[in-house]
Amino acid sequence: MAEMPYAAAVNRALAEELAHDERVVLLGEDVRAGMFGTTSGLVQRFGEDRVINTPIWENGIAGMALGLAITGLRPIAEVMFADFMYLAMDQIANQIASWTYMTGGQTSVPLVIRTAGGAGFAIGYNHSQVTESAFVGPPGLKVVAPSNAADAYGLLKTAVRDDDPVLVFEHKFLYFVPQEVPDEEFLVPLGKANVLRPGDDVTIVAIGSMVGKALEAAETLAAEGISAEVIDPRTLVPLDQETIFGSVARTGRLVTVEEGRKRGSVGSEIAAEVAEKVFGSLKAPVVRVAAPDIPVPPGPLAESMYVPSAERIVETVRGLVA
Amino acid sequence: MSTDGRGETLPILPIDPQTLLALHRKMVTTREAERIWADMLEKREFYLMGHFGTGQEAVGVGLGHALEATDYLFPTHRGIAEYVGKGMSQDDIWAEYFTKPAGPARGKGGLHLSQYEVGLVGLVGSLGADYAISAGAALSAKLRQSGQVTVIGFGEGTSSQADLGSTMNVAALWKLPLVFAMTNNSWCELSPAEEHVCTPLVAPRADGYGIPWSVVDGNDVAAVYSAAKTVVERVRSGAGPYFLEFMSYRMGPHWSGDDGSYMCEDDLCAWRERDPIALCEQRLVEQGVASAADLAGVREAAVAEVTAAIARAGSLPDLTYDDMLAGVYTGAPAGAAREVS
Repeated sequence: MAEMPYAAAVNRALAEELAHDERVVLLGEDVRAGMFGTTSGLVQRFGEDRVINTPIWENGIAGMALGLAITGLRPIAEVMFADFMYLAMDQIANQIASWTYMTGGQTSVPLVIRTAGGAGFAIGYNHSQVTESAFVGPPGLKVVAPSNAADAYGLLKTAVRDDDPVLVFEHKFLYFVPQEVPDEEFLVPLGKANVLRPGDDVTIVAIGSMVGKALEAAETLAAEGISAEVIDPRTLVPLDQETIFGSVARTGRLVTVEEGRKRGSVGSEIAAEVAEKVFGSLKAPVVRVAAPDIPVPPGPLAESMYVPSAERIVETVRGLVA
Repeated sequence: MSTDGRGETLPILPIDPQTLLALHRKMVTTREAERIWADMLEKREFYLMGHFGTGQEAVGVGLGHALEATDYLFPTHRGIAEYVGKGMSQDDIWAEYFTKPAGPARGKGGLHLSQYEVGLVGLVGSLGADYAISAGAALSAKLRQSGQVTVIGFGEGTSSQADLGSTMNVAALWKLPLVFAMTNNSWCELSPAEEHVCTPLVAPRADGYGIPWSVVDGNDVAAVYSAAKTVVERVRSGAGPYFLEFMSYRMGPHWSGDDGSYMCEDDLCAWRERDPIALCEQRLVEQGVASAADLAGVREAAVAEVTAAIARAGSLPDLTYDDMLAGVYTGAPAGAAREVS
């Protein structure tokens, strides 16, 4: 098993899928050069008809991906920053999400849109958000948020082979973190959560970049005698409710952790589902650890206070278990 | 290539009598279907509001009829002329309008009709969303070397959506087999075009992208058909995109619930003189292709066809709750949506 950065794992998955199926094409801004290295080197190997540089036109990247997908190809589109997904909102929420249903299944929509979200570079506003919570609602989309290099690889490969539209929310700070990825080819199924650490006292459901922090928090809590179960849902739509509900039924406590803001968060949806379906198991209120409802502030100082920390997770759990 | 600011004058191809009769029949079917639809709404016998295209049938019919079944046509949201032109049957149209599972889209289309076997791949409701989708379809045809042409239909009102410029850019940049087919019908929803669009014509903007263009009489179905044939074959041969602007006039309101009182009676009278069906009939009679009685027969047959299709559609089985929930994802049974809800 080799260590490779998350971005290299994405690159490996893309190369394998381009080789695996000649209907797969890549399109996006600067995908030939590769802004974060995820697509670098692919044009040399697969040619300009398979790796297509587009103008700066996010709504067009998504819309063209839809046009490609309903006419026999399997596009993987890249939207450079997750903030720019809002520029493609009409195509994604109104068109891509509905097309299979609207045409009564005369076509499928086998496309992937990859994007890079998250803080870490302290540039604030339109280059630092995670935006997956905005895409959990529109029916017809599948949504994944890989938290590590192996999942970034395995989930992306599955997404490319899926016949429905899949949005892949990668994390640009994680891109540069080397992690272990098995050498042999593998797929990670959609809709299957990963229980990263078993525990009895509290369930922590953490998304994307927060999974590492949740594991760090669980380690600290263990030293205090608090046993936290850490679950990475990996796929936000469809959500692996079974794993989450089963865990909460045992622990009686749920904390959701995400880098996005609290209002209308993914955690809000998970909390509501848990309240509807396993309320009787709860020994404490469900708590969402999330960013405050403000724009992403610029500068390293504000950013460090904005993004949820392992310490905040630890304090939150202490408050529930005490 | 005409980048001289005046556009190109396309040759008028000779049209054989059978083709002209087919175009006439499709225009009459479109007109009668929309008239019967409006009547049903007036009598509150039907639920579905309509954006009728009375007066501009020649554009959709001429375009649709000029294409191969495998070519992709993205229709405007106005009326059914493109669907009829491309070969969608009245039975299929009305099964969808009645939201019956027997329809080509299993009753999920409603106004958003599609029929993949004739190259109708779907209609958007957020106007202009299909510019980018059509560019994707054209890019797909180019990458697959399939020889298919994509036609994106829109009106001068939707020309204000920013994606038109972006789409002309990529179409020219990548030499896509894409035809921009704009109907200039003088009305943008409930407002006159001069309140929406800064120039009398939109097509000259194509010059800025190096895309050849032509302005065509959109009320002369033979001219529309001829222009479409010429341009589509040129685009199919690899010449890159083309922009056609069809001059026409919307002889009715924007939608069925709108009385059109903002429209000018003098303009309507003037354009009634140029009614595309009347012009076509005049030509058919002058050329001795059809008699007045033949033409009346076409109209009667169209009314009978539409009326029968509506009656059949109305009597088809309705969708069930499970039908409604099914199909959000590929192969997804209703149970999946039921579980989520």
